[in-house]
Amino acid sequence: MKRPVSTATRLAATALLVGLAAVACSGRGNAAGNQAGTTPATAVVTTTPEASPTLTVAPTDTAVPSDSPAGIDAPATPDPLDSDLSGIQNLLNGVNDQLSGNDPGSAGGE
Amino acid sequence: MKTRITSLLAGLALGSSLIFVSAGIAGAVAPATGPAGKGVCATDAATARNDKTIGALKAFANCEINRRFATLNTLSGKITASKGLTTSDAAALKNEIDSTRSGLTALKATIDAETTIPAVKADTVKIAADYRVYLLVGPQVHLVIGADTVLAAQAKFATVNTNLAARIATLKAAGKNTTAAQADLDAMNAAVTAAAGLAGPIPGQVLPLTVAQYNGGTAGPILTSAKAALVSARNDLKTALAQAKACRTALKALK
Repeated sequence: MKRPVSTATRLAATALLVGLAAVACSGRGNAAGNQAGTTPATAVVTTTPEASPTLTVAPTDTAVPSDSPAGIDAPATPDPLDSDLSGIQNLLNGVNDQLSGNDPGSAGGE
Repeated sequence: MKTRITSLLAGLALGSSLIFVSAGIAGAVAPATGPAGKGVCATDAATARNDKTIGALKAFANCEINRRFATLNTLSGKITASKGLTTSDAAALKNEIDSTRSGLTALKATIDAETTIPAVKADTVKIAADYRVYLLVGPQVHLVIGADTVLAAQAKFATVNTNLAARIATLKAAGKNTTAAQADLDAMNAAVTAAAGLAGPIPGQVLPLTVAQYNGGTAGPILTSAKAALVSARNDLKTALAQAKACRTALKALK
């Protein structure tokens, strides 16, 4: 039942282990390098909090315009009819002024 | 002498009494006490009446001229400030004011140079009789500005009509009952037409009037009639404005 392991098989298994070990060492080496240079651990930690504020700022940013004058003006677009009617009212007031001013008694006698 | 001065002052007072005859539609108004008011020269009038000197008479005459200058300046300001006055009517009114001011300036110089009381008295009567600042020039300015302003309002109402008619058409196409809104708009347009019909002729009737016509009794009735027309036109404009607002309200209720 028990087969004898051939030399070739042993060599292949050894080569595989060496390869795995090399890959493992390579990954650790990179992580260590990063940690020593720009403190990636901190970067990771800060990246996450930065991401959170960014997420919370985004809705805040969208809320700010809604409180801004532009946000208020948008739904309250003035009706041109209002300005026309207001202009007519001003002209009507002007006619009234002339009628009251036309009274010679208000300006002085001849 | 006393009789003559009294008659002179009475002559100037005659203009004041004419005010109430020609005021027509205007109701009772308290006498003005400002720079252009007739009360301004009351002290000089009393002094002239009591002192009976040429100096006192000249002071009274100068006071009467100066208050007319003040009034002419006020009228010029109204012409400049008017938003409805046409360019040609504004020019005509300015010319009239300028010529009146020039005439009064010359008369003032004449009075200042007079050496006798009778001459000063004769010149003083001209202040009112030859220029009619309060009974002719002032009403001309006010009536023409008022009439042109009514016509300016007519142009504004044309824009309002376009706007409201478009809204009515839109809602009507959507199956809404726009009968009431259309009736309001029709009433608005009818009132505007009536106002313009009343105000339109006023400048042409009033601007050509002269002092001679006023003194001859023909200008006064024209001024009175023009003022009545302007009052009616103003009332029509008020009606038109109310109808425009009613139309808009009716349209809003349909949305």
